[in-house]
Amino acid sequence: MAARNEHTLNGEGMVYDISKEFKEHSIAEFFKKNKQMLGFSGKVRSLTTVVHEFVTNSLDACEEAGILPEITVQLEQLPSGHMKLTVEDNGPGIPKKLVGKALGQMLAGTKFHRFMQQRGQQGIGASGVVLYSQITTGKPVYFKTGLGDGKAYEGEIKIDFQNNRPILMNEREYDENYRGLKVQAVFGDVKYDKSEYSPFEYIKRTALANPHAQIIFIDPTGERILFPRASDLVPEEPIEVQPHPLGIGTHDLLEYAHASQERKLSSFFVNTFSRFSYGKVEETKAELVKHMLEKNTGMLNSDAEKAVQDLFEASPKELTWEQAEMLIYVFKRLKWISPETEALRPIGPSQIEKAMRNIFNPEYVVVTERKPKIFRGGIPFMVEAAIAYGGNAGTQKADGGVSGTIYRFANRVPLLFDAGGCALTTAVKGLDWRRYDVHDFENEPISVFINFISVHVPYTGAGKQAISEEEEIIEEVRLAVMEAARGIQRYLHGKIRERTREAKKKAILRYVKQLSQDLPQLAGKGEPEQLERKLMQLVENKYSQLTLEEAEEEVEKNGNGEEVRDETTDAEEE
Amino acid sequence: MAEKKPAITKLEELGLKMIQQVERNESPTFETVLRSKGNVIYDEAIGCLRLGESKEQRTFVNVAQAKKFMQTIAVANKCKKFLEEDAHTSIRGLFYQLKFSLGEEFDEELFSEQEESNPLIEDLEVALKLKREDLNLNTDRKGVVAGNLVLLDKFGGEKTEIDCAKQGRSGWMIPSDVDNGMDFVSIDADWVLVVEKDALWQRLNEDKFWKKENCILITPKGQASRGCRRLIRKLANMKLPIIVFTDNDAWGWYIYWAIKTGSMNLAYLANDIATPEAKFIGMTMQDLNDYDFLNKLTIKAKDVDIKRAEEMLSYEWINRHKEWVRELKTVIQTKKKIEQDALQGPRLSFVGEYLREKMQKKKFLP
Repeated sequence: MAARNEHTLNGEGMVYDISKEFKEHSIAEFFKKNKQMLGFSGKVRSLTTVVHEFVTNSLDACEEAGILPEITVQLEQLPSGHMKLTVEDNGPGIPKKLVGKALGQMLAGTKFHRFMQQRGQQGIGASGVVLYSQITTGKPVYFKTGLGDGKAYEGEIKIDFQNNRPILMNEREYDENYRGLKVQAVFGDVKYDKSEYSPFEYIKRTALANPHAQIIFIDPTGERILFPRASDLVPEEPIEVQPHPLGIGTHDLLEYAHASQERKLSSFFVNTFSRFSYGKVEETKAELVKHMLEKNTGMLNSDAEKAVQDLFEASPKELTWEQAEMLIYVFKRLKWISPETEALRPIGPSQIEKAMRNIFNPEYVVVTERKPKIFRGGIPFMVEAAIAYGGNAGTQKADGGVSGTIYRFANRVPLLFDAGGCALTTAVKGLDWRRYDVHDFENEPISVFINFISVHVPYTGAGKQAISEEEEIIEEVRLAVMEAARGIQRYLHGKIRERTREAKKKAILRYVKQLSQDLPQLAGKGEPEQLERKLMQLVENKYSQLTLEEAEEEVEKNGNGEEVRDETTDAEEE
Repeated sequence: MAEKKPAITKLEELGLKMIQQVERNESPTFETVLRSKGNVIYDEAIGCLRLGESKEQRTFVNVAQAKKFMQTIAVANKCKKFLEEDAHTSIRGLFYQLKFSLGEEFDEELFSEQEESNPLIEDLEVALKLKREDLNLNTDRKGVVAGNLVLLDKFGGEKTEIDCAKQGRSGWMIPSDVDNGMDFVSIDADWVLVVEKDALWQRLNEDKFWKKENCILITPKGQASRGCRRLIRKLANMKLPIIVFTDNDAWGWYIYWAIKTGSMNLAYLANDIATPEAKFIGMTMQDLNDYDFLNKLTIKAKDVDIKRAEEMLSYEWINRHKEWVRELKTVIQTKKKIEQDALQGPRLSFVGEYLREKMQKKKFLP
């Protein structure tokens, strides 16, 4: 199928109706054959992907409804070898008539009205999960939902691949004051482990970036892990903005297009996207023609123009994956006015700090807040960074040690995979940590948190797990992490000093008694007990009044005016 | 006890000042003059080595100085006790009195090595402008005297008159402290001869040299002890010329210069212990010209002698004397040295003849 589409787009052979070609293939069918595009590659990753889809949907729904989320995620290993996943939330629920679309139709555009910075943009939606369950086990997905209006609605759902239509079964509506959504799906070809790619890690990180959520995770062994809510503050509802042509991926474009009520692709662009004028439509068309001719030197200019003209006249609902891919490519070659910046929604320093304390119970946390910056000449983004040190920060290693860990997020969504090629990882690894008194990043209880915020996250691939290594992004992440690292350095330094200070105090105090006995005898006046109390007070005062800096710099001058360094400062290093 | 010893008063003042500091919420502080080599200067006006102006402060509420401070006070307090009890001990005895644990909870002693307590004694000497002998701390006795000198020793509450003219073959051994409880009763001598070696002293004693020449005959038996130097200083105070007679080699010169200008180590005692008026009678390289037989009795100067000679040439208090520059350069050139004992070569009593002749001709080096 892919080959035939390519054939059409490349303009090889005769030119024919592109939209007609698409109709012959269901989008569901397409994804079924290209499931790695949805993040279903590898047994561990596939399981994390399905958890991700349901959890982000729950968080988004709660946020929009102003509800503090309570989400329970349970995994059960079935005797058949399959894995059963149950996710239940306390969100607003899905109205009965939308259940089919939300769960049983690919690119159904349930997010069509949410052109905003949302977690769900990162996924393929709940329907992708239904699809995955169906192709690995053949089984439908159970759901139960309610709007809190006294009625509950449950049933099972499958997808008709041929027609990309939901198939609802065993539906039942009954009286129960239920609000929220519960889904239960069974999967084959998945595996649970406790690695850094596991659903457990995913949920831990989700809790980290969503301090307002309470999440309970029950793993296949039955162990129940609670990530308690750290803040009662529901995040501000994101501002709706039209998507910017530079900020979307193929999948987004398809979803928007298929959900659109516009008659033509050209008007769909103008009315859906920000900064997309009719002038830009013409530029896009011209660039698309150029691109088609570049890709196929044997193609006639007039044929290419005809194909593009037809495409733009056709309904957006008929846009294919390949066409969307080409359009996205062409968008990047055009000059656009920058998108608005006010849509950026950071988590906020105090929320991040609460979350870091909640999850890592660290000795010390530093959070940095920075102003929005732009990349690719105009796309606004913002970086939030935080570092936690000590406590449960870092990752427990098999040998009992702890290793420094980078927690990457894009708009609060954890990025677990493809760390190697990610701008966030590159920036953190590029730092000379020793300059910040972190002597060996790989062996320190340190957690580096980075949230990349943008309405348009420049992912490196369809898996949406790594952020493109653009110079401006790496630099900004670097600066944000450095800022936090400086805070950690001050802390670590202070810690060393505090220890030094205590040691100094103790070192002096042990001589107080002897001196208090000798001095009054020597003077022939004075009282030992009284002198002892006085001297102890003097020592206490000195080492509590001293600021950390002063204690560190405690340098005494002798008669020569030569500086004599305090011996214990050096002795510390022995 | 009748009057309070001045040393006790000084120690009490030191302690009182510190207690007052504590009452003012200040860290008690001990101040003394720095005794390092960098702070030793040659004072032309008084003709000896003394300490410069650099001060050293030791304060209790400072981690680097707390222990030393406490130890200093412990030493001071212990010395006060000795003074009160009228008991004397050596610096080693003091160390053992203060070698005890600071408490069960600490694995630490007040002092664990004598090297720790020794410098603190010197600190106190400098800070209080006292000698250790004033603190009832003895040093080893060394040095012997014979001559018309009568002293009164009020040791142990008893008064003993000592006549150095009636000490037979052995002479009177110079004690560690010649100041406290020790007075000159009478001196009937014209000058003082300090002879480096005990063997030569015995020679001259046997020859009744001190009787014939009416001098006081002293041997420090090598390097002069504190007590011996102090006695020489006190005799010089009585306007007796001090004449020093040593080998012509590194060791001998050093003995002379320590008596005359004091030493680096004891620079803090300065003119209490130095005798800038002292003159050097021999042996000298010039003697080789004046006494031909000595040419056969020289020995080869060792490397240490040559090095010492070169070093002495660099000292401003030595190289300001052209006679010494000439002497030292000759030693370096000829690589020869002469011992006092060589004067017994022709006949045993020649030593006395040699000294008599040089005294008459005033053949001295400054």
